[in-house]
Amino acid sequence: MSRKKAGKGKGTSNTPNSSPSSDKDKAKKVLTQSNGVVYPSRPSLSNSGEFYDIAFKVMLVGDSGVGKTCLLVRFKDGAFLAGSFISTVGIDFRDVREQANEHSFKLRSKKVARSEEKTAEIVVEAAEERVSVEDESVEETVEDTIEETVENPLETNKVLNIDGVRVKLQIWDTAGQERFRSVTHAYYRDAHALLLLYDVTNKSSFDNIQAWLTEIHEFAHQNVVIMILGNKADVSHERVVKREEGEKLAKEFGVPFMETSARSGLNVELPFTAVAKELKHREIKEPNEPKFQLQEYVNKEMKGSGCCRS
Amino acid sequence: MDQRNGARSGHQPQLRINVPSTARERVPSVDPYGFEHAVDFDYESYEELMSEYLAVLTRRSIKWSKLLQGKPRVDRNLKVKRYVRKGVPNEHRALVWMMASGALERMERNSGYYHSLLDLQHDPKLTETISTDLHRTFPDNIHFRLSSDPCLQRALYRVLLAYGHHNPAVGYCQGMNFIAGYLLIITKDEERSFWLMDVLLDRILPDYYTLAMLGLKTDQEVLGELVKMKIPAVWKLLQDHGVMWTLLVSRWFICLYIDVLPVETVLRIWDCLFYEGSKILFRVALTLIRPHQVDILPAQNLPDICERFKHITKGPDVHDCHTFMQKIFQEPGSLSMATVSKLRGSCRARIIAEES
Repeated sequence: MSRKKAGKGKGTSNTPNSSPSSDKDKAKKVLTQSNGVVYPSRPSLSNSGEFYDIAFKVMLVGDSGVGKTCLLVRFKDGAFLAGSFISTVGIDFRDVREQANEHSFKLRSKKVARSEEKTAEIVVEAAEERVSVEDESVEETVEDTIEETVENPLETNKVLNIDGVRVKLQIWDTAGQERFRSVTHAYYRDAHALLLLYDVTNKSSFDNIQAWLTEIHEFAHQNVVIMILGNKADVSHERVVKREEGEKLAKEFGVPFMETSARSGLNVELPFTAVAKELKHREIKEPNEPKFQLQEYVNKEMKGSGCCRS
Repeated sequence: MDQRNGARSGHQPQLRINVPSTARERVPSVDPYGFEHAVDFDYESYEELMSEYLAVLTRRSIKWSKLLQGKPRVDRNLKVKRYVRKGVPNEHRALVWMMASGALERMERNSGYYHSLLDLQHDPKLTETISTDLHRTFPDNIHFRLSSDPCLQRALYRVLLAYGHHNPAVGYCQGMNFIAGYLLIITKDEERSFWLMDVLLDRILPDYYTLAMLGLKTDQEVLGELVKMKIPAVWKLLQDHGVMWTLLVSRWFICLYIDVLPVETVLRIWDCLFYEGSKILFRVALTLIRPHQVDILPAQNLPDICERFKHITKGPDVHDCHTFMQKIFQEPGSLSMATVSKLRGSCRARIIAEES
């Protein structure tokens, strides 16, 4: 019972709309507040997400089996695979496994990961969710430990450094089956961003996008950031939804779009970084800073699903 | 993998020369139900716990064998109820569940029905929905691998398909795969699993898995009310942070604690569930929450609360299933069916009013 005794969030976590005064100063202040532990040279070190300036709630939605959880896991652990992280106690596959497997004793330790440099991520807090992966097309090893997300959103925290501001994304994963929606849409209200996924190898998941958008518009906050993601883009032989169709639909609804692949890692980070940027710019805007253009940013950063990607 | 070893005929399994010296070497890497232990499974604690629990199991096993000797039926009386609460030995579990819940009677009255459902023209939507979840059901259980024989994944498909046709109002709802999976592990029989499923969904947990999931929503709120009465500080914390119960406990109810609590503990809970009914689910929930108030109350925000609620379902307390099951009948205090029914009525009405 020793975990998380220290309060976290300092009041900002649950009220991301309360505008932080000045970003850099605030960041320092938060830092020194936390348990008195300060790591000047390594300000990112945190194993429970104390250090961040603003927090936003992101939800993953879409039909069952489109790969929501897999994308989240890839986002959470994918950086490890790409070699951008050194995980001290391991945010790695075994953690995923142990989360998935509740049939056993676990003496779980805190997990810390440190960014070496370069990437946007500073701190990854170990996800406490029972990780389940929905993408059927993932590597065999992953597939072996996949279970579906049943009903209640599972939560993951991830802190991103967006232009010097630490943005914590509280990512909520949801079950896709229709009857659970009457339960999950209650959470839409508080979501700052919604990532709406379909599976490029499953036509009906694409056809349902419109219904999802209708529901989102009915229940979500008016200013919610929405992004449509066509997942499993690596599976070329079973593809039934063309990239152009996705683009067209998204354009119709004025929503940014990209194809992703939790397996290959294609555009796994981008949707999260993009919404973090958008939300950060809404929250903290320098006086002479131009308005952040989400769509442009996405277009610029987006990778195609063709060749040249590992 | 097992097959591969088997196929290498002529190869004798390697003889152990050394006596296993650590718990890791002594305890099999797969539990009695086919679940693989996680990489960081605590073999020492497990072995320690099992050495005590085995004595309990042996004692119960002898008592149950005497009780069941020469009897075609389990009576419903105080003695049996007490026996059930102390745990049904695994060798009698399928039979006791079948008899205590009325599933056996349903099965005998409807001989051949299960197989006739499978002969029906299958609803393609139903088969597709079920198929999506097959490989996502207990991937860590060796019996659910496609390579295992018998393969419970195929049996699971048939049980869920039959049930979907039998009860179109429910069809297939995620969560049922886990329940059917456990039933198959215990009964090792599709037809029995089907009828246990039927009695669970039809009688014991009415309206949990239908489209509106009204029974489930109701019971989540009922738990909220019980917490308000019995653990007011926790109720207030949730109230202050605007946390909906569904966020914390929906899996407890939908999966009947599968994957929330350890397998052995879940099975002990199910012993009582089949004999006593759904009230037991509240007892378990309250026993998880109440003794851990001090761990929950310092939570400062929603994610923190969620995390603490996950944390209370882990650790030695819930692994020691025998003690845990004793606690569920003491810790929450009295909990009459009348109270539960009354709360169900008022919560249900409130939900219907809110949704309309």
